[in-house]
Amino acid sequence: MVGRDSRVRGNRDPRPRVLDDGMTLREDHEEFLHATMGAMDLVYNLARRFADRVEEAEGLVQETYLAAYRAWRDQRRPRRVEPWMATICLNLGRSRYRTRERRPIEVSIEDRDFRAPEVEDPEGAAEAALDREALYDAMRRLPEEQRVAITLVDLAGLSTAEAARAMGSPRGTVLSRLHRGRRGLAALLWDEVREVEDR
Amino acid sequence: MKIWSMKRHHDPEQNAAEYVSGELPARARRWFERHLLDCEDCWREVLLGRFGRRVAEDAREPVPLGLRDRVRAKVSLSATDGDSPTGSVG
Repeated sequence: MVGRDSRVRGNRDPRPRVLDDGMTLREDHEEFLHATMGAMDLVYNLARRFADRVEEAEGLVQETYLAAYRAWRDQRRPRRVEPWMATICLNLGRSRYRTRERRPIEVSIEDRDFRAPEVEDPEGAAEAALDREALYDAMRRLPEEQRVAITLVDLAGLSTAEAARAMGSPRGTVLSRLHRGRRGLAALLWDEVREVEDR
Repeated sequence: MKIWSMKRHHDPEQNAAEYVSGELPARARRWFERHLLDCEDCWREVLLGRFGRRVAEDAREPVPLGLRDRVRAKVSLSATDGDSPTGSVG
């Protein structure tokens, strides 16, 4: 006879499940969390490249971790966690947001009289001057593949070869997307930097 | 990119991307840095690339408060359930 308690708990078994290598499921998930929580920053920022709303991005992060844990339990474990988590997040993000119309970049350096920075230290100028919200907004206005390339390489520190594997694209294509993304950000934000400098 | 390939056909966009990312091998980097003194196109791309990279690094968004705990809880729950995680979110 099936008691009320077991019906409520479904197939949950209080005994720890033993995996092929003798490790219990609890030990296994703790090992998984220990190995992957350091990639949270990368996964969240990658999720934000797809999701306009923070809540949506959080959902994608959770989905990524669950999918990764499934693979981990099936003994599909990566040599490097970050590119692996990035690949899972990218695949989920692309399938979830495939149908959504992406906003094209609204400003391109070809469309305007844009000159390269003339200050001695363009990096320092950018760092000092920019408002964080303007920065996030500029990032969101880039085409998706450029945002992803920038997130993987400039934010997460992956090599362009690792980013290419995660994105399923040739390295040359990733280099091109990366550079166009950087240039797009420069085009979108340079006016703002100059405004702050002129004050 | 191999140095002989760069010398034969230089691509300002690709070379600048590799240079700004610190991925040019030492010999190629030395050649490219000398080349930058004479090539206005490459110099411009490098400046834009450096600017954009710095901006991009600052565009890192902090992980929302509590998300790490929620992810831990989801994974722990799916481990406790003992079968395949559902993949449900929220």
